[in-house]
Amino acid sequence: MEKDYLGEFEELVLTVVGVLHDDAYGNAIVKEIKDQLDREVNLSAVHVTLYRLEDKGLVKSHMGGASEKRGGRRKRIFTITNAGLSILHDMQARRIKLWKLLPQIKFTS
Amino acid sequence: MKNPEPPKKATRLLEWFCPPELFESIYGDLYEAFIEDINATNTATARRLFYWNVIRFFRPGIVLRNKFNLKINNLMLNSYFKIATRHLAKRKLYSSINAIGLSIGIAFAILIYLFIQDERKFDQFHQDKELIYNIALKQYNTWEPNPEKPYDFTAYVQYPLRGALKEEVPEAEYVSGLSMGAKHTVRFQDKIFIEDLTYVDQDFFQIFSFPVLQGNKNKLLKDKHDVVLTPSIAEKYFGTTNPLGQTIEIDINGESGDFVVTGVVEKPPAQSSISFDILINIANSSYYEENNTKWRVYSIMVLAKLHENANPERLQYNLDKIVEKYMKDAELKARERYLIPEDKLFKQYIAVPFTDVHLDTELGWPGSNDPMYSMILAGIGILILLIACINYITLALTTSASRRIEVGIRKAIGAKPAQLFQQFSFESVILSMVSFLIAVGLVFLFLPSFNQFTDKEISLHWTQLLEVVAVGFFLAIVIGLLAGSYPAVFLVRYKPTKVLKGGTSYKLKAGFTKPLVIIQYALSIFLIISSVIMFRQMKYITTKDLGFNKDQVVVIPTQAGWNKSSTRLFTQYKNALANETDVISIAGTSTSFGDGWSKYGYEVDGKQKAALVYTVDTDYLNTLGLTLKQGRNFDPDRPSDSSAVIVNETLVADMGWENPLEQYLNWREDSASLGSPVIGVVKDYNNLSLESSIEPLFLSMKTGSITKILVKIRPGNIPGTLQKLERKYKELAPEKPFEYSFLDEDVAKQYASYQRWMSIMSLSTVFAILISCLGLFGLSGINAVNRTKEIGIRKVLGADISNIFILLNRQFVFLAVVSFIIAAPAAWYIMRQWLGNFEFAISINWQLFALSLAVGLLIAILTVSYHAIKSAFINPAETLKTE
Repeated sequence: MEKDYLGEFEELVLTVVGVLHDDAYGNAIVKEIKDQLDREVNLSAVHVTLYRLEDKGLVKSHMGGASEKRGGRRKRIFTITNAGLSILHDMQARRIKLWKLLPQIKFTS
Repeated sequence: MKNPEPPKKATRLLEWFCPPELFESIYGDLYEAFIEDINATNTATARRLFYWNVIRFFRPGIVLRNKFNLKINNLMLNSYFKIATRHLAKRKLYSSINAIGLSIGIAFAILIYLFIQDERKFDQFHQDKELIYNIALKQYNTWEPNPEKPYDFTAYVQYPLRGALKEEVPEAEYVSGLSMGAKHTVRFQDKIFIEDLTYVDQDFFQIFSFPVLQGNKNKLLKDKHDVVLTPSIAEKYFGTTNPLGQTIEIDINGESGDFVVTGVVEKPPAQSSISFDILINIANSSYYEENNTKWRVYSIMVLAKLHENANPERLQYNLDKIVEKYMKDAELKARERYLIPEDKLFKQYIAVPFTDVHLDTELGWPGSNDPMYSMILAGIGILILLIACINYITLALTTSASRRIEVGIRKAIGAKPAQLFQQFSFESVILSMVSFLIAVGLVFLFLPSFNQFTDKEISLHWTQLLEVVAVGFFLAIVIGLLAGSYPAVFLVRYKPTKVLKGGTSYKLKAGFTKPLVIIQYALSIFLIISSVIMFRQMKYITTKDLGFNKDQVVVIPTQAGWNKSSTRLFTQYKNALANETDVISIAGTSTSFGDGWSKYGYEVDGKQKAALVYTVDTDYLNTLGLTLKQGRNFDPDRPSDSSAVIVNETLVADMGWENPLEQYLNWREDSASLGSPVIGVVKDYNNLSLESSIEPLFLSMKTGSITKILVKIRPGNIPGTLQKLERKYKELAPEKPFEYSFLDEDVAKQYASYQRWMSIMSLSTVFAILISCLGLFGLSGINAVNRTKEIGIRKVLGADISNIFILLNRQFVFLAVVSFIIAAPAAWYIMRQWLGNFEFAISINWQLFALSLAVGLLIAILTVSYHAIKSAFINPAETLKTE
């Protein structure tokens, strides 16, 4: 039923948008990925991916509040849509199904 | 604490490429990161990181989201287009001059591009081209030993090399000899023509990939009496019937043989060093059996296809072994005789990649071109294009002055500099597009003459047309932008307040145009002088009295080869036409004018002498109107005259004879007799072209065979007489083609290459004059604009029109004179070299230069007068009211 294939990075960004819930914007996502996964990602890559996900209807965005920390510019806050959630669920389910098919390897001493 | 600012330039960059709706959030994110970086490191690092981050946003995922911008541009483009067309229509003269100037430049560039492309494509179409080699010869130059350049190179090698390569050089897979361009009579039933025969070996078709249309590629020319034709030749002889298996007759060395057509091969394209109409086995060539054992006869080219993994060092080693094996004796003799230094090679075979032979003039392949020509042409092309561009800018500048107010208003309304820049560039691109269309038309128009000049067969197939259009289109855009940007920058700089208030003094600055105009103008004058001299010289050589009468003489080749039967045919023909009233006289000769010459060398009193020799018959002198200074003509009734000679004055002087009629010319170096008695001295005449001086010459009745018949006919009914001549010839030799030419045409043909150069020169001169006029026109325009106010004041103070006219033209006369001073010595030097080609040349005198200067000045004054007159007639009230 999957309409679009999600790349690894897309899936990562989409998941983090879900994790951050109402506080997902460019820098927050970069930081979250670094904190949780210890992985350096580039801000521009995150932005581009977010726009692409928005095009696919998996996230939606609105302008959030400005702060002095941002030189008076507003944030674009991304939230995950139902379609985005379902695609994440779907991918997770498939992965588990596949995982179960993997023969159990016993570690022998 | 006030927050630090990230670099402004980076922000502007981001603003420029980032879609506006995304800008705020992206900038916000970047700013946040910037502050954090400051806290983590220092300001400088943070700024650097900010730059870097901005640049990383320049990616398709962001930039391509700029959908909005295009819509705005479309709207603006419409407006720009409208303004541009109105503006161009308003200034028809400028627009058309500008467009024509540019289109000439582009057309030239395209033609030169085509030429270079054509050169590069030469011989590139063979499938295994990197395996095909021409086995050429590098040899010590024994004629004129030159320590700087001790070796000569030639593609002409010996017949037996083919066999040696096949048997003793394992690297060579296929080997073929090649001998092109021998003319022979070919016959099929009643169709008789002279054709070019190309001799090759059977391997020829394995080496080269000329498409075989009919016949088995592996069996072509297997038999000695096989022949392979091109489709046009097949059609010429057999029409629509299948040529395969047909038998044609070919005359080789006076003997006719039957050949069976076993294949039809496509005619080589124009970009091929090898051309052929009819291919036959090389074993049929004259004296083949004899030549194939001789290592002293250098007359054919040899081509080889190497095995794919042939080792070049082994190949060279094996080639050297051939010299060692077959030419040892010759080497020993030559080393002794010519004192070849020990460290120099005598002869060495070298393998030259076949794709290189076209650009190697030393090897002597037919039609080869120095790659230098391409480079020079490319240089000229770029120069012309550059000049055209700069002229274009100059002309655009003169009109731009009148658009200050437009610019002022646009700026006041709120046009941004970038928009104005776009607008002017757009106008310029439109004009260059128009020029481009004209240029393509010009290319079509001039391609035939260009082909003629360059001796090429460039044609515009649709693929090439596409290429040309692509190149031209690209050029047009680049030139449009480049040439449009300068005036645009210039115009955008006007301050609207100043302009609209009126009354500002302004000056167009275009300092670079003056030296440029001098260069262009010098070039034109150079070409004018050269053309005038060339024209004079050509007129001189075509009208000079050559010492013989070349009018109404028909030259008919006997077509019977260099042997007795040829002389016999001549005698029969002469007798058959004896009673023809339209024929004044008939003479025979071994060598007609423009056919080259043959020379005998002989030793007299220990001195080496040489003389040209012509075999003639008794009517030679009167047919050509030659005058005898002393003695008498050959007498048919005196058998002893067959061993006598008639000499020219130069020979008498060369021998130092006081009394030539008592002398003998021992040209055979006969030790048993005195030689041939001299019975007459003929007045010197130009038997060779005027490039060479008159050399010692003697006429004899028995030295060789008569191969050309000279028929002096009565003026009047020439076509009728020619028909009679043909009928008689056909009666005597029905199996041979009747060909003829007129002697005066043959003589003129000797100068064909000079004629071609002259037409190239005159065309270039016209182009150069046109282009330099454009430059002058632009410069004088700028000048007139800059001095408008000065002229106004002068007029108010009482200057009349002629004063102003002189004032404005004075500096151009000065420019013209400076150009002349540059051009004249160069032209004088080059033309002296050129005239050096001729033994009989005009002298370069000051009148020629004065004439050229006058022509140049006249053109300059005519060109600049337009502006001068225009400025001179302006009412001063118009120009001064603003102050």
